[in-house]
Amino acid sequence: MSLEAVDWSTFRISAQIAVVATLMCIIVGVPLAWAIARARPGFAAVLSSAALLPLVLPPTAVGYYVLYGLGRQSAFGRFLIDDLGFRLVFTWQGAAIAAAVVAVPLFVRTAQAGFEQIDPDLLDVAATMTGRRGVFWRVAIPLAWPSIAAAALLAFARSIGEFGATIIVAASIPGETRTVPAAIYDATQAGDTALANTLALLTLLIGISILIALALLLRRQQERS
Amino acid sequence: MTGDLSVQFQRRLGSFSLDVEFSAAPGITVLFGHSGSGKSMTLKSIAGLARPDSGRIEFDGRALFDSRAGVNLPPHRRASGLVTQGNTLLPHLDVRQNIEFGIHHLPRDERATRSAELIGLLGLSGFESRRPRSLSGGQQQRVALARALARRSRLLLLDEPFSALDDALRNAMRRELLRLRSELGLTILFVTHDLREAHFLADRIAVFDAGRVLQLGPREEVFRHPASRRVAELTGVANIWPGVVMDVSGEGVTVAVSGAALLAGSGTHAVAPGDQVDVMVRAERVNLRRDMQASSGPMNLLPASIVAEFAYGATHVLQLQPEGPGPRVEVEIAARPYSVLDIPARRLFNLEIDPRDIHVVPGSNPGC
Repeated sequence: MSLEAVDWSTFRISAQIAVVATLMCIIVGVPLAWAIARARPGFAAVLSSAALLPLVLPPTAVGYYVLYGLGRQSAFGRFLIDDLGFRLVFTWQGAAIAAAVVAVPLFVRTAQAGFEQIDPDLLDVAATMTGRRGVFWRVAIPLAWPSIAAAALLAFARSIGEFGATIIVAASIPGETRTVPAAIYDATQAGDTALANTLALLTLLIGISILIALALLLRRQQERS
Repeated sequence: MTGDLSVQFQRRLGSFSLDVEFSAAPGITVLFGHSGSGKSMTLKSIAGLARPDSGRIEFDGRALFDSRAGVNLPPHRRASGLVTQGNTLLPHLDVRQNIEFGIHHLPRDERATRSAELIGLLGLSGFESRRPRSLSGGQQQRVALARALARRSRLLLLDEPFSALDDALRNAMRRELLRLRSELGLTILFVTHDLREAHFLADRIAVFDAGRVLQLGPREEVFRHPASRRVAELTGVANIWPGVVMDVSGEGVTVAVSGAALLAGSGTHAVAPGDQVDVMVRAERVNLRRDMQASSGPMNLLPASIVAEFAYGATHVLQLQPEGPGPRVEVEIAARPYSVLDIPARRLFNLEIDPRDIHVVPGSNPGC
């Protein structure tokens, strides 16, 4: 295994994409998971289905919709580009949005399970002492945080490995948008088995460390309940 | 600040409908009924955790809910404290932080004064920094009570708060609650399906059945003078017999029950000769005599022999069949008189029932 041929910018770009995608998952996914856990059954099913949709689509289809949404073809894309000056297509930030959409079902499912484990009586009693915001920030979040952390870790892992959706939105521009999965794909296509092998092994190491962190978090959650 | 609560609302839940009307004042009002009778849902509606379809709930002259006026205060603006059956303490906070949870908005020194006061009141000194998980069930419920009281709520809503505790602890907590009631002068609603608990705690009882309040009144009134056969069944009246009114006089109502004439001195409704009635006697109000002499005043006397008996430890329940005509009578007798009367050795006794303990209501199923 030779590390000299490795273009380390791919790791930096993958990490940037994964971090930003995870943050987006947290911002959108935590309130969504809480809403699903607390909504009436019918409405919860609708929200839950909507959150799961990206899971049943091929990532390339997700990428296509994100590309359409961010590009000049759509009204929203024109607004972003012409009025706000955000050109996201073929950027790593655009790739992060695509990765976030792919990862959000996994995030919501995991965080939702944490919220659902909270005793409804406890939330009822808390509601007699503090408003909705207080219940969310002072009860739900502290009690569900191990699940939220696990969800974030899973979203990070999913984003760092995302290939289909990100390559459609951002392509594979060396030093700008080429991620580790894209580099593996390119190395395989070019017949550079040694490089592909090295990169794959490195992703394996990253994956194993994420799984260990996840196991530690889940153990912590079990200790609480 | 009268502490008066008035509740009147309707709510449909699938095939179940809740149509509740009652009032409460400072002291303990027990909402008593079987599970599924609507008492917990009533408590939740008062707390603001469930929304009635229509009606009005008012406390201290202030509307908490009023469907016509469009008032529906959120739970934390109703100034009511809630304690439920399970452990609802926050596991990541210690005892003091749990107690101060609902008074977060107050300045730090005021919070500290209040929590210290409640820690003293509920005997939690020394546990201030403990996490809920390291407390016993009884201590956890004390913290939950302290937390509910910390907001200076005048209305305390208790939903079977002691039912997860073991027997000895439950009794201790019930006594504690009676002490708090006297010391704090709060309006307390206490939900329970336990008859003994209801009797022990209640100043007033609201008897719930199938989403309705069948009877509301002072404890003795409800236990001694049930308004209907159903209330008598729910409040544990062991002897309920169908009868026919024979005569109405100044002394009371004479009723024919299984061929025997019984003089009844208690009734909630006017009855006339020929009326079908239900006749009720609590098992603990029947006296067993060895001789045939009655105590002073008019008494119902029936010679009867024991046909079955059950030992509960502190009390014995006996079933007696009259020698002549008359209904089978269930008698509850304490352990001491049981041995003084030498019941195991003798089978024939004289049943003595004070007319004031025989209660008559219009028959629920005429033709029986």
